[in-house]
Amino acid sequence: MWSKKAVAVAGGAIFLTLAGLIRLNYLFISAGLVMLTFVVLSSFLDVWMPNVKIRRETSSDNIFENGSINVKFIIKNTGLGLGFVEIYDKLPPQARITKGSNYTLLYMKPWQEVSFEYSLKLPLRGHYHLGPVRLRVKDAFDLFYNEKIEQSIHSFSVFPQIEVLEEQIIKSRVPKLLSGAMPLNLIGSGTEFYSLREFVPGDSLRSVNWKALAKKGKMMVNETVREDVMDVILLLDAREVSAVGGGRDTPLEMSCRAAATYAKQLLDERNNVALVTYGDSIKRVDLDRGEHHLFKILTSLSSVRPEGNLKLEIVLKDLLPYIPSGSPIILFSSLDDDHTISEAFTNTISRGYSITTLSPSSLDFEEKMKRIPYQPLLIARIERENMISEIRSFGMQVGDWKADEAVNTVLQGG
Amino acid sequence: MEEIKTKKSRMPKIDNIINYKDFFGEYPLIFAIKIISSIALFYVIYEFYIYHNPLDSLITQYTPKVIANFKPNPNIFVIWGFIAGFSFYIFTLFKGKYKLLIIILALAIVGQYISDPALDWQVGEYVIPTKVEINGADADQTQWKWKPVKIIYDDKSGTNERIADAKIRVSNMIFGIVPFLGAYGIWKRKGWAIAASVGLVVIIGFLYNPNLCLENYDAAYCGYDTMEKELTWKEYLSGGIFIGLGFVIYIELSYAAIKYENYAEQFKPAGLETSLLSKVQKKSVAKTLRTLFVSYLVNLGVMLFITFSVAEIVININYYLSTTEGRIQDSIELQGPYGIVFTSLIFFMLLGFLRMFIGAEYDVDDN
Repeated sequence: MWSKKAVAVAGGAIFLTLAGLIRLNYLFISAGLVMLTFVVLSSFLDVWMPNVKIRRETSSDNIFENGSINVKFIIKNTGLGLGFVEIYDKLPPQARITKGSNYTLLYMKPWQEVSFEYSLKLPLRGHYHLGPVRLRVKDAFDLFYNEKIEQSIHSFSVFPQIEVLEEQIIKSRVPKLLSGAMPLNLIGSGTEFYSLREFVPGDSLRSVNWKALAKKGKMMVNETVREDVMDVILLLDAREVSAVGGGRDTPLEMSCRAAATYAKQLLDERNNVALVTYGDSIKRVDLDRGEHHLFKILTSLSSVRPEGNLKLEIVLKDLLPYIPSGSPIILFSSLDDDHTISEAFTNTISRGYSITTLSPSSLDFEEKMKRIPYQPLLIARIERENMISEIRSFGMQVGDWKADEAVNTVLQGG
Repeated sequence: MEEIKTKKSRMPKIDNIINYKDFFGEYPLIFAIKIISSIALFYVIYEFYIYHNPLDSLITQYTPKVIANFKPNPNIFVIWGFIAGFSFYIFTLFKGKYKLLIIILALAIVGQYISDPALDWQVGEYVIPTKVEINGADADQTQWKWKPVKIIYDDKSGTNERIADAKIRVSNMIFGIVPFLGAYGIWKRKGWAIAASVGLVVIIGFLYNPNLCLENYDAAYCGYDTMEKELTWKEYLSGGIFIGLGFVIYIELSYAAIKYENYAEQFKPAGLETSLLSKVQKKSVAKTLRTLFVSYLVNLGVMLFITFSVAEIVININYYLSTTEGRIQDSIELQGPYGIVFTSLIFFMLLGFLRMFIGAEYDVDDN
């Protein structure tokens, strides 16, 4: 294939020759012919061009937000030809290269094998792919080349970032977050110490607190907190309105990170967790437990896109018949643009469910971006505070999540 | 414990004045390629005008009607055009206010150049009387007194000389634009400037009074003072081969400089003047660049040798054919320009046929 440069040089050479003929200029004629000879002879170079095979290896198939993925290319010349090889691996636009480069230029000798590496970082959750790979074998002067687009696609997912939750939020003695079906505050078989009581016949000798015996002179046994398995429903608001802001700073992104964090923590404690997202439709990952289920939830969270405007009342009406009675629901929503929230909460609570809400404030992002004038912003803040107070008046816990706050701290104040 | 206060130096850092790293680059090899490209540019343009006398140009023929003393001289405009292009590149390296300072300085020098002979500022003698107050006298009591003032002398002959000099400089600028653009393109990595410099050579060359002095070197016949040594068409032909090769070397090396510098630039994050590569990584990149460039030079050397040999045969074969016994020399004007082009076309056609059979379609295996 002719490159632009080859066309320009050949065109210039022909022009020089013809101009020389018209003007009877010998200098032009010979200079033009020399340049044309150079181009024509260069076209023979691709007879000895290398035959290249490439292989891509990656460090992992899935990463978390801001995680790195290493990519290695192994290029082998399987023939006797030699020449220049250009390789360009197409990257998703959100990717940031942290080491090396996704482009390289090599001079390949017969049977030579070389490799190059690069690392990239993805700041946002989602499903991405690397490739296709553009491979160009060309002569030294970039005059003629053969190009091939290798459909070598490597798909991978970027999961929402998971934070480590502090113990007291999940294992609180007065469980604010997980009240309902799970009798966390009862004495039972568990690992965490609850209190001491006197020994009664039938108690296992293993539970005897020997230090307390030495101190009080009578047999005392340790009581532990009962740890029950429960069903938790994570309800994520993925409506279009949740995409206010930009990049990682949107209510939706914050909600996804929080949902991932809670899912990890709850599944680690052997609970059943379901994920429900709503936007233009309701999408569900049914109740289950274990590592594999966490992978399913994270994959689902990576796919969430802001679209539609389904109201919470409709979502809960549709959902509640399928949720085990009394299961705690954790709602991740900015509570924006939904006049059915009070009614939805009333209906849900009246049927014996509890809803804990983590609400990222979209107003903070609007304020950051200076898109709302002061007065309307003030009114919007008052409206939001009223909404949160109203939900709290139902006896439900609400975390008013400000921008730049960690997931950990959201429910501590509420 | 007493705090040690470090006094901030008032001298600005060199990094804040000029981006000198752009000039030297991170890899000495690329710097060397730029120097070689500059030499190639200088050689090509200079050689081109040696064979292609700018006095033969139509520009030279018609421009004197507008600008008197229009006399382009390759010895002046090639070197100064190159220096101007290179200086302009250096100017672009300066930052912010320093760039403005240089513009002001340049304007001041140009202003001084224009005004110096024409406006000769001198402290004059007591030529203009002024009314001044008398010391110790009553108020409002004044007297006439001679006071020295500046007067302006108009140096007419100096002015005329300067105008003539400026016109010669302007005339050299027209032809000097070629090395100007070439030098700027090589050092600033601007492909369009390199292409424009080559294109302008051809265009300026095209505006040429054909072979006016080829047969008759008489000043009356040519319309201007002829060069000491005029060339025959055969010398023009062989000269053209070197000019053609020079063009190829210039184009190839300048684009190689851009290509390899772009390769190195990709490791530099946007907005930064240096890459974030570690020393080991830099060494690795330098090694790759060395391998690429050495391979490139070998390829270029071999190709230039073959091109030169083939071009010599193609262009000169007519001469041998026309001087051999037989009827072929009677059929067409083999020694003329049409004969040369005709032979070349036959040669290229044969190469095309050959290419059809030995150049198999290249296919990269699927992974």
